[in-house]
Amino acid sequence: MSMIDVKELKAYYTTEKYGRIYRVRAVDGVSFQVHKNEIYGIAGESGCGKSTLLKAISGLIKPPLEILEGEVIYNFDDQSLNILSLQEDKQRRKVRGIRLSHIPQGSMSVLNPVRRIRKSFQDLIDAHLKLENRTHLNDMNMVKKHLDALGLEWNVMHSFPHQLSGGMRQRITIALATILKPDIIFADEPTTALDVVVQRGVVQLIKKIKKEQQNTLIMVTHDLAIHANLCDRLAIMYAGKIVEEADVNLLFNQPKHPYTQMLLDSLPKLGDKSTRTSAPGTPPSLINVPPGCRFHPRCPEATERCRREIPELVEVEKGHRVACFLEEGSK
Amino acid sequence: MVFKKYFIPRFIQYLTVLFIGITLVFIIPRLLPSDPVEHQLNRMTAQGQYLDPAAVEEMRETLQELYGLKGGLLEQYLIYWKRLFTGNLGPSFTQFPTPVIQLIKISLPWTAGLLLVSLLLSWLIGTVLGGIKVSFPNSIVAKIIEFFAMGIRPIPYYIMALVLLILFAFVFPVFPMTGGYSMGAEIGFNLKFILDLLRHAFLPIMSMVVLEIGGWFIQMRNVASNVIEEDYVVYAEALGLPKIKIIFRYIMRNAIIPQITGLALNLGFIFGGALITEIVFSYPGIGTLLYSAILAGDYNLIMGVNIFSIVGVSTAMLIIDLIYPLLDPRVRYQ
Ligand SMILES: Nc1ncnc2c1ncn2[C@@H]1O[C@H](COP(=O)(O)OP(=O)(O)O)[C@@H](O)[C@H]1O
Ligand SMILES: [Mg+2]
Repeated sequence: MSMIDVKELKAYYTTEKYGRIYRVRAVDGVSFQVHKNEIYGIAGESGCGKSTLLKAISGLIKPPLEILEGEVIYNFDDQSLNILSLQEDKQRRKVRGIRLSHIPQGSMSVLNPVRRIRKSFQDLIDAHLKLENRTHLNDMNMVKKHLDALGLEWNVMHSFPHQLSGGMRQRITIALATILKPDIIFADEPTTALDVVVQRGVVQLIKKIKKEQQNTLIMVTHDLAIHANLCDRLAIMYAGKIVEEADVNLLFNQPKHPYTQMLLDSLPKLGDKSTRTSAPGTPPSLINVPPGCRFHPRCPEATERCRREIPELVEVEKGHRVACFLEEGSK
Repeated sequence: MVFKKYFIPRFIQYLTVLFIGITLVFIIPRLLPSDPVEHQLNRMTAQGQYLDPAAVEEMRETLQELYGLKGGLLEQYLIYWKRLFTGNLGPSFTQFPTPVIQLIKISLPWTAGLLLVSLLLSWLIGTVLGGIKVSFPNSIVAKIIEFFAMGIRPIPYYIMALVLLILFAFVFPVFPMTGGYSMGAEIGFNLKFILDLLRHAFLPIMSMVVLEIGGWFIQMRNVASNVIEEDYVVYAEALGLPKIKIIFRYIMRNAIIPQITGLALNLGFIFGGALITEIVFSYPGIGTLLYSAILAGDYNLIMGVNIFSIVGVSTAMLIIDLIYPLLDPRVRYQ
């Protein structure tokens, strides 16, 4: 059984300006499943809705974000949970941080600037573990053990966030996000804005935690190299929709969607000296999406049908889903 | 280490500001065309007194000495500082020969008391209401608070003061019309007198509090609604921390920093007086003292009041800088 089952999810940002309503269709009918223990990657140009998708599936929904349709079901070992039907904010809070956790973007300042790091850990533990048979000392021992396992110094616990380097802050944040051994970890561009050496360290750290805690990991980044290195399966998002999804090797070796091919073509290859072409054109505005296939204005192989009809994401071979009429035709 | 790097330079800066400010207070009146000594002599002769020239000359010298106007500029300046350190600000011109320092001593407690209480009250209420508005933006309470805070704020102060006075001292005579305490009341530290003081202070304080709440409310609301968007608040939500904890330890704790700066800065102004309040409610204080000093050209008194303001404001700034590192760890050790 799958760990996460997302069905026909639509999440829009609705804003009103001078009496006109604008809808940013950031996640527009997305369905996918994530298996227990796997690393599921989500790639796509910035602005295509990756972060919004993570927000929606972890139930972090507040205006202007709205869920229009869809279900997100979690199948934990002991219970199944439809997070979007938990109306009560309190119930969702109980799930986040302990069952689902987030590793944020590397550039963000996610630690409270006026609180020592130790306190941030204490806050999280207090929020999710019952007070009975818990002592401050035990809590701190737990933190110490976790830090040891990740190869981090206990000393930093007494610092304020601004006293640490960006890379160190990100490692500490990862330690914080995983201290309660969450079933599922969402990582949203965890290496963005870190320098390359630090990036490597961060990826290694995430791998290590994943191996030890046996969590399910969803990795969002626009960096295809990280996906190639880390993920089991990969989904490619374009303008609020998943356009292709497959096993990582399969997807890198036999990309079917023209957009995926375009993305892969822009990657440098060893020994190939020709200049890389970046994907031509720009992603569409999510307020006025093009009719038909959203990719058709940039697609070299677009036909009349692509301009009118929206292609469904269908399985073209086992474990390989593509949303493109070219594939449908060839089947 | 911190002491040497942070406090000492800051303290030197404080002394420099005081020095410059107080020197300006010395220079500016001397740039004015009118000479207070001649002014007073003229006034005496204008009253029809006959004075023989020798007596006039003698009196001129005495007055010059009293006003610190004797000798060259440098000599005057040195005497000015010497007098300041002994707490001597010279005699008042209009209430000759009462020393200026004594006039200020009588008025200052009224002003400081009035402004301090209304500042603290309005700050506290405005800050709490701003916090409520941001924490529960869609609640009815928040909407009512915002409606009143925004609605009352544009009312000009003197109108608010007059309306309160007419309503609660005249139409419904719950509070006294004028003064700091009842005529003929026995002044002393006893319950009866304190209650009398409070009754007299109530309307003047309310008039200021009601209007100032709005300002504090808006500042708190604006700062806190920016803090809510900060990564660390969003992330605290993502980790499922309880709402109450996020409100107090994450949002308010950070939003309160500029609020405290504002409070400390305003504390410096409590020596400046509240002229309109004092006039509308016939309340004793520095404002009226300074006003009549300006009208009468009472230089010593004007200088004295200004020196108090300068010391007040710069000391408040010093205090802000000293407490800031305690509030915000990011400015520690810099
Ligand atoms: N708070 C918001 N209000 C309105 N539009 C938003 C908001 N946040 C993001 N968007 C829009 O939603 C789209 C998807 O954003 P996002 O999910 O952050 O993309 P990604 O993470 O893939 O870069 C973008 O067009 C962005 O401009
Ligand atoms: Mg993003």
